[in-house]
Amino acid sequence: MNRTGRWIVQIFMAVVLCCSAARSYGQGARLQLANLDKLSDKAARVTDVTLDGSLLELAVKIIELDNDPEAAQLKDIIRSLKGIYVKSFEFDNASQYSPADVEAIRSQLTSPRWSKIVQSVDKRSHEHDEVYILKEGERVGGVVVLVAEARELTVVNIVGDVPLEKVMALENHFVPDGRHDSKHKPNKERNHDEE
Amino acid sequence: MHFSEDDLREALKRKDPGPDFTQRVLARVEQAKTKGKPAQSAKKNNGFFAWWQLRPAWTVAVTAVLLLGFGWGGYQYAEYRHQKQEAIMAERHEKELQEAERARDQAILALQIARSKLNHVLQQTQVPAVESDKIRRQRL
Repeated sequence: MNRTGRWIVQIFMAVVLCCSAARSYGQGARLQLANLDKLSDKAARVTDVTLDGSLLELAVKIIELDNDPEAAQLKDIIRSLKGIYVKSFEFDNASQYSPADVEAIRSQLTSPRWSKIVQSVDKRSHEHDEVYILKEGERVGGVVVLVAEARELTVVNIVGDVPLEKVMALENHFVPDGRHDSKHKPNKERNHDEE
Repeated sequence: MHFSEDDLREALKRKDPGPDFTQRVLARVEQAKTKGKPAQSAKKNNGFFAWWQLRPAWTVAVTAVLLLGFGWGGYQYAEYRHQKQEAIMAERHEKELQEAERARDQAILALQIARSKLNHVLQQTQVPAVESDKIRRQRL
């Protein structure tokens, strides 16, 4: 291969690398959670939410149609988001998921752009909770809440400028009355707020 | 022009028509029959059109009925197409509305789970939820 040929190959490789880097940067806040799908069969209760930008826009439109003044805070939150992805599994028995399942999620959060802001480990109850945020300059680009308990594994991945204080102050009455896409089995839902 | 008596006698005297006279006459008759057939059918056609010409009121009435029939049929078809299109649009709108409602419910559920888990994690770390914003700002 002559000198010009080598230059062309090097330029091509540089372009490919730049493109892949740009692509990974753009998708940085969204985690790959497909590896958790295998737990659906073992779980007593599964909650799987996948909402991308277009569906969130639809949600905002329908909230606006409702003309509910109390839904204003909800609309403000959703409007600033680019995607919401939740996978939550509740099991009847302990040790239904492996540490590798959690590690597969955690390994995606090792980038320096992700910061672990809260970590809670309780060895007595085998509970391991973590909260990560993705920094994009001065703004928040995404949030991940990872709750790994003996009988529960929950990953919440919110993409976009997440107003955490607004999310945490969200009213309880916005919970839809069992209209969500979750697989119910006769098992009382545990709500951490009630604990 | 003047003809003499001899000329007239010569012209009008009996002549022998020849041995095949009868055959020639019969051939000419046959020929006349074959030529006469299409002329007869043309006459018939003329008669058919003549019937319409003789009954203009009927012609107008039949034409009007046909026009009205085609017009009504066309209108009905256009109306049917319009209604069908409206039904499709309504169905699509309903589908979009259902999808939007589902998206809203899912978003609420997801945010509720996020809120619940965030509060839980902060409780576990013994950090009051109201101070979470301050923590976030400090961390950032």
